[in-house]
Amino acid sequence: MRELGAEIARDYEGCEPILIGSLKASLVFISDLSRAIPILHAIDFVELAGYGSAQMGGHEQIRVLKDLDADIGGRDVIVVEDVIDTGLTLNYLVRTFELREPRSVAAVTLLDRPYRRLVDDLPVRYVGFVVPDELFVGYGFDLDEQWRHLPDLRVLREI
Amino acid sequence: MGLDIPVFQAYRGTSPPRFASPAELECAKVLDYYGIPWLYEPRTFVLETDEDGRVIEAFAPDLYLPEQDLYVELTAMKQSLVTRKNRKVRKLRERYPDVKIKLFYKRDIERLAQHFRLDLAS
Repeated sequence: MRELGAEIARDYEGCEPILIGSLKASLVFISDLSRAIPILHAIDFVELAGYGSAQMGGHEQIRVLKDLDADIGGRDVIVVEDVIDTGLTLNYLVRTFELREPRSVAAVTLLDRPYRRLVDDLPVRYVGFVVPDELFVGYGFDLDEQWRHLPDLRVLREI
Repeated sequence: MGLDIPVFQAYRGTSPPRFASPAELECAKVLDYYGIPWLYEPRTFVLETDEDGRVIEAFAPDLYLPEQDLYVELTAMKQSLVTRKNRKVRKLRERYPDVKIKLFYKRDIERLAQHFRLDLAS
């Protein structure tokens, strides 16, 4: 965390970036990351309706459950993700944010599974850990809303 | 197969897709949900011809994502049975080195299903 924070602080010296957390799983990570970034920065959150919760056929499209409070026009945006695998969520967020004409958009993720990527043109600049194909819970990660509260990341054995 | 095909928003093909498996349909629905343009089997790649130039082996990957310029092949077969599919993908890469293709194995699809709560059983 200290390394990520220092790297971001170095890259954004004098810029006052805005960290945007994608709820809910990134909540714990963005809290720790923010405390590890010594330069001035803002925090905001966005929440998207997950595919699985939509009870849908393909006719539905992704919905924003909670939009940003801040205006990001002309600002340096850092999207904070808990994990990136297919990249579909981050791709959507970046496309949505870019319509609002920020000065820059980058992403930081705690965990990365690049071997599962479906979309590659993502501005992933900071990666905590590249992880194997395991299920993680705790530290904000859940399985059907369970286990988020665990203080550390844990690997969930097959269920 | 009797799959219930919804109206797609991000499908870029001209004729309705005819999915061969629930996994193909569900992956297409996920792409559509996130607004990622996609096509279904838009191109058949010739892998091998005989001495008369007749096609004796060809391969049509399941999905194509034009914005990523990426073909995606899904295989729900057991890992032990994917040798033939692996060989086709390897041949495609050898013959068309500029073509980007990803092969999603059963385990990848199961992870995707777990993540997005897909219904692969229908």
